[in-house]
Amino acid sequence: MLFNSLTFVVFFAIVVFLHRLPLRWRVKKINLLLASYLFYAAWNPPFVLLIWLSTLVDFEVAKRIHASDDRTRRRAWLWLSLGVNLGLLGYFKYGGFLLDNWVAAMASIGVAWQAPDWDIVLPVGISFYTFQTLSYTLDVYFRRGKPCTSLLNFSLFVTFFPQLVAGPIVRPGDLLPQFAQAVTASARQVQWGLMLMVLGLFQKIVIADGLLAPVVDAVYGSAKPVAPLDAWLGTLAFSGQIFCDFAGYTTTAIGAALVLGFSLIDNFRFPYAAIGFSDFWRRWHISLSSWLRDYLYVPLGGNRKGPVRTHINLMLTMLIGGLWHGASWTFVVWGGLHGLYLVGERMLKARVGAWAVWERWWSRIALALLTYALVNITWVFFRAQDFDTAWRVLASMLLIDSSGAPLLSTWLVLSAVVPITGLLLIHGYMRERSLHAEVARLPVAVSGLLWGTMLFLIAITQGGSDAFIYFQF
Amino acid sequence: MPSSTSSSEPGATGWWVRPLPDTSAGVALLTAAVVFVLAMLAWEWHWRAFGSVPGMRNSEGLWAEQRRRIDGGEGDRTVIIGSSRVLFDLQLPVWQQATGRRPIQLALEGTSPMEALEGLADDPDFTGRLVVGVTPGLFFSGFAYRRSAFERYRKETPAQWMGQKLSQHLLEPWLAFYDDDFALFTVLERQPWPVRPGLDPPRLDVRKLSVADGERNTRMWARVENDPDYSALARRIWAQGFSRPPPGGPEEAAKRRDEQIERAAAAVAKLRARGVPVLFARMPSSGDFREAEMRGLPRADHWDALIARTGVPGIHFEDHPELQGYHLPEWSHLSASEADRFTAVFAPMAEAALAAQIPPE
Repeated sequence: MLFNSLTFVVFFAIVVFLHRLPLRWRVKKINLLLASYLFYAAWNPPFVLLIWLSTLVDFEVAKRIHASDDRTRRRAWLWLSLGVNLGLLGYFKYGGFLLDNWVAAMASIGVAWQAPDWDIVLPVGISFYTFQTLSYTLDVYFRRGKPCTSLLNFSLFVTFFPQLVAGPIVRPGDLLPQFAQAVTASARQVQWGLMLMVLGLFQKIVIADGLLAPVVDAVYGSAKPVAPLDAWLGTLAFSGQIFCDFAGYTTTAIGAALVLGFSLIDNFRFPYAAIGFSDFWRRWHISLSSWLRDYLYVPLGGNRKGPVRTHINLMLTMLIGGLWHGASWTFVVWGGLHGLYLVGERMLKARVGAWAVWERWWSRIALALLTYALVNITWVFFRAQDFDTAWRVLASMLLIDSSGAPLLSTWLVLSAVVPITGLLLIHGYMRERSLHAEVARLPVAVSGLLWGTMLFLIAITQGGSDAFIYFQF
Repeated sequence: MPSSTSSSEPGATGWWVRPLPDTSAGVALLTAAVVFVLAMLAWEWHWRAFGSVPGMRNSEGLWAEQRRRIDGGEGDRTVIIGSSRVLFDLQLPVWQQATGRRPIQLALEGTSPMEALEGLADDPDFTGRLVVGVTPGLFFSGFAYRRSAFERYRKETPAQWMGQKLSQHLLEPWLAFYDDDFALFTVLERQPWPVRPGLDPPRLDVRKLSVADGERNTRMWARVENDPDYSALARRIWAQGFSRPPPGGPEEAAKRRDEQIERAAAAVAKLRARGVPVLFARMPSSGDFREAEMRGLPRADHWDALIARTGVPGIHFEDHPELQGYHLPEWSHLSASEADRFTAVFAPMAEAALAAQIPPE
C-alpha cells in the first residue's frame, strides 16, 4: 500500500480510530500488527510469508544465542539467521544479477550458455526489513542487547507498517521499548504527526513526482546525447527527486508513527548542505549509513588498523552499500565513487589539516556546493538504467561531448530550476536548525497557511500513485 | 527531512521521544483545514465554470474492472475493443435498446486493440461476440498509448483494486476537477511558455474530449461540441500528425501493417475456432482527418487487406449510406447526440453480422 494513495488514507484513518479506542494495550498492538500485515499484503499477499519466516527465525535464534555461552554454538545460530535472511535477500534480489554475470563470464571464455528466464518478483522493501531484523540478531550476538521476550512485540518491531518498506531502518533499542508499555499519542503529537505527513506527501507528490520526475525521465530516457545544460538539469533534478521521494517517504512514516504515539528516528538532515562526504553521510539515509557503520565498517576494523585498512574498509562498506540499493553494477559504481570520495576526503584532511580559511562563510558555501556537485556525479550512475546512458549523460555534463541538442522545454527547465534552487536554499538555511524549532518560530496563521497550501497542492496535483523509488530496494 | 537535530538520548520514558514544535499546532492545523477547504471549493468552482462535470475517470483500474467482468461470468456478452472512435461513437444504453444486448466496453483511446484482441483470444472465459474497432493510424501501427491498462488487469494488486473502488465511490462522482486534464502540472505545462532557443514549439497534447460513466460508456464532452474555439483546438492538435511521415519511413510502416494484420488473423482464428464471432468496424472520420487517412493509409492496402486476410466481416462506414452524414466536431469522433443516433443504426447491423457467423444449433 502506498502512502500516496486513497487506500492508505482510509486504511490509516481506520487504524488510528482503532488505536484510540479504550482497548487493552495488547489488543491495540495486535491491531497494529494485523494492520501492518494487511499493509504489506496489499502489494502481494504471499510475500507476508517471508516476513513471518524472518520474524520467527530471528526471534528464536536470538533467544538461543543469548542463552548459550558456547562460542561455536552462538556463531552457528548467528550463521543460521544470516543464512536465512541474506539467503532470501540474495535469492529474490540478486539471483538474476548473479545469473547474468555468470552467463557473461562464461561467454567471455567462449562458453555459450543460455540461462533460464529469472522471472522473480522482488518483495517490496525486503532490503529494509532484512537489515532491521539482522540488527536485532547481531545486537544480541554482540551482547549489546537482550532478546525480546514477547513474540508480539518482536513481530511488530519487524513489521510496523509506517517504516516497513522503506525505513528508517530502526534499531531494536529505539522501537522495542516503545511497544513494551502502553503509550497514547498526545493531541500535540497527533497534530504534529499529521503536519509531518502532509509535508512528506507534498515532497513526494508535488515536488518529486509532479515537478522533477518529468525532467529526469526526459533526460535519462533520451537515446541521443543531450546538451550539457540539459544533462546537468536532468541530474540536478534527479538529486531533488531522489531526496524528495525518499525523505518524503520517511517524513510521512515518522508522522504516521507519531500520530499513533511512536517516535521514529530521523533519516535525513538536509543533506545537500553537507560540507564534505563524511558530513553528507551523517545527513543522508542516516539509518542505513549508521547500520553499515555499526554492523560492517566497525566489525571490519573501522579506522583502528591503520590508514590503508581504513581506506579498504571504507571502500568495502560503500561498495556493499551500493549493492544494497540494487542488483546492478551501476549501483556498485555509485557506492564505489562515494567510497573514493570518503577516502579522498580523509587523505586530504590528513595532509591539509584544519585551515582557518575553511571556516569562513564563503568557503563553507563553496565546499558545500562542491560536495553537492560531486554527489551529482554519483547520482548519474544511480539513476541511469545502464552504463551507456550514464556515460552519455556524464560526457555531456563534463563537456567531453557537447554536441547534444537541447531537449527540455522552457516549462521543464523551470520545473527543474525552481525547486532545486528552493531546495538548496532551504537546506543551506536549515543546516544547523531543526524543523520543529523553525515551525515554532512561525506565526500560527502563517504555519496554517503553509500547510493548507501544501495540502491543496497535493490534492490538485492528482498524483498517479507512483511508487516510491526506494521501494525497489 | 528531519523534524529534529536533537540527539538520540533517551528521555524520561527510556527511549528517545520526538520533540514537538512549541506552538499551538492545533490552531495551525485548523487554519490549514480552512485554507484547504476554501482553496478546494474555489478550484472546483473554477473547473465547473470551465464546463467540467463529475464523471468516472477513464482509468486503468476501471478498464481492468470491466475486463474482469468476462472472467466473472459475463464472458458471453458482446465485447467492444478498439480505440477512441468505438469508445465515443458506440453508446451502450442505445445498443441495448436496439438489440437487447448490453456490450462490455473495452476500447482504449490512442491504443491499438491488438493486445486486447490477443488477450481475449487466449481467454477461454470469453465466449460472446467481439466488435473490433479499426482506427487505421493505430490499428495498423500497433501503437498503444494505454498499454499499461493491460498490465494493470494482469497484475493489479489488492491495494490498487481497493484504490479504484474508493476513488469510484468517494471522489469521482462528486468532483469535476478530478480529471487528468485538470491536474496542476498538466495545466501549467500547457501554458504558452516562450519557446526555448534551439527547440521546436512543443507538440500539443490531446485535450479532454469525453466524459465516462462507471461502465466506461463514453460520450463527447459538451465543450468540444459547443465551444468553437475548443473544437478548433482539438482539430489543430490532430492536424499536427497529418503531415508527419511514419516512423522509419514507408517500408517500415508497410512491414508493421503486415505484422498487425498477421497478428489479427492469428487471434481471430483462435476466437473463431471456439465459436466466437468477430466483426471489424471502421467508424466515421471527416474533414482533414479523413483525407489524411485516405492519403497515408489507403483502404485497399489496409482495411480491405485486413478483411481479406482474416476472413471475417467488417462494417466500414463508407459502404453504408446510413452510417454517413454525422457531425464530428473535431473530425474524429461523433458528438454525444450523434453517437446515440449512430449507435441506433450501427448496433442492429453489427449484431446481425455477428449472429450470422454463429452456426445454427
